[in-house]
Amino acid sequence: MLINENLIDMNLEADTKEEAIKKLAQMAYKEGRVNDIDRYVEAVLKREAEYSTSVGFGVAIPHGKTDAVNEPFLGFAKVKGIDWSAPDEKPVDLVFIIGVPEAQAGNEHLKILAKLSRRLMKDDFRQLLRQASSKKDILAAVQEAVA
Amino acid sequence: MKSVIVSVPFEEGLHARPASEVSKLCQSFSSDIKFINGDIEANPKSTLGLLTLGATKGTEIKVEISGDDEAEALKAIEAFFQRKDLI
Repeated sequence: MLINENLIDMNLEADTKEEAIKKLAQMAYKEGRVNDIDRYVEAVLKREAEYSTSVGFGVAIPHGKTDAVNEPFLGFAKVKGIDWSAPDEKPVDLVFIIGVPEAQAGNEHLKILAKLSRRLMKDDFRQLLRQASSKKDILAAVQEAVA
Repeated sequence: MKSVIVSVPFEEGLHARPASEVSKLCQSFSSDIKFINGDIEANPKSTLGLLTLGATKGTEIKVEISGDDEAEALKAIEAFFQRKDLI
């Protein structure tokens, strides 16, 4: 499974995108998806430095491909309006993080991104993520989106 | 209306920096622009829209442009997909 309840945080405390990324990486580490937090975070932040992974609508999808990842994962957190240098300048409150092992990186994360993006284009999906109060509801919606 | 088919030259496909840059490029034109991959149609002025295409390296994308600056936009988009510095 790409995502499970342990990879979801309904109220992640973070003031900056760096902090949010680090905390999401810790979740993936605890789940055994990441074998080296620092190297994974470094890979994700390197991308962030090149361009913002905010996609508008209050959503950011940071990601990293590196051999610090054991198996592909998708994590999700709701945060309190973080500045993510968004193209529409809106603060980000929904964060998806993707990790893919270097060897597998070819098309795997592009496929996950495409499926997730198709659903994120829809207002009702974003609303569901914002309003859901249980991890179970989020998990069901996200799993269906990336299936 | 102008249209052209471009092939994605970027190693990682059309996401990340290439997506971010082509989105900015398309935003600089007033014309309506569509990127089409099979049955998926996206507005490339939105990064999220571009990601829905799931366009890997070698994917052929049909570009449709209509508006006052369509000729300039066509040229710029064709040139973008030739860029070697983003590969």
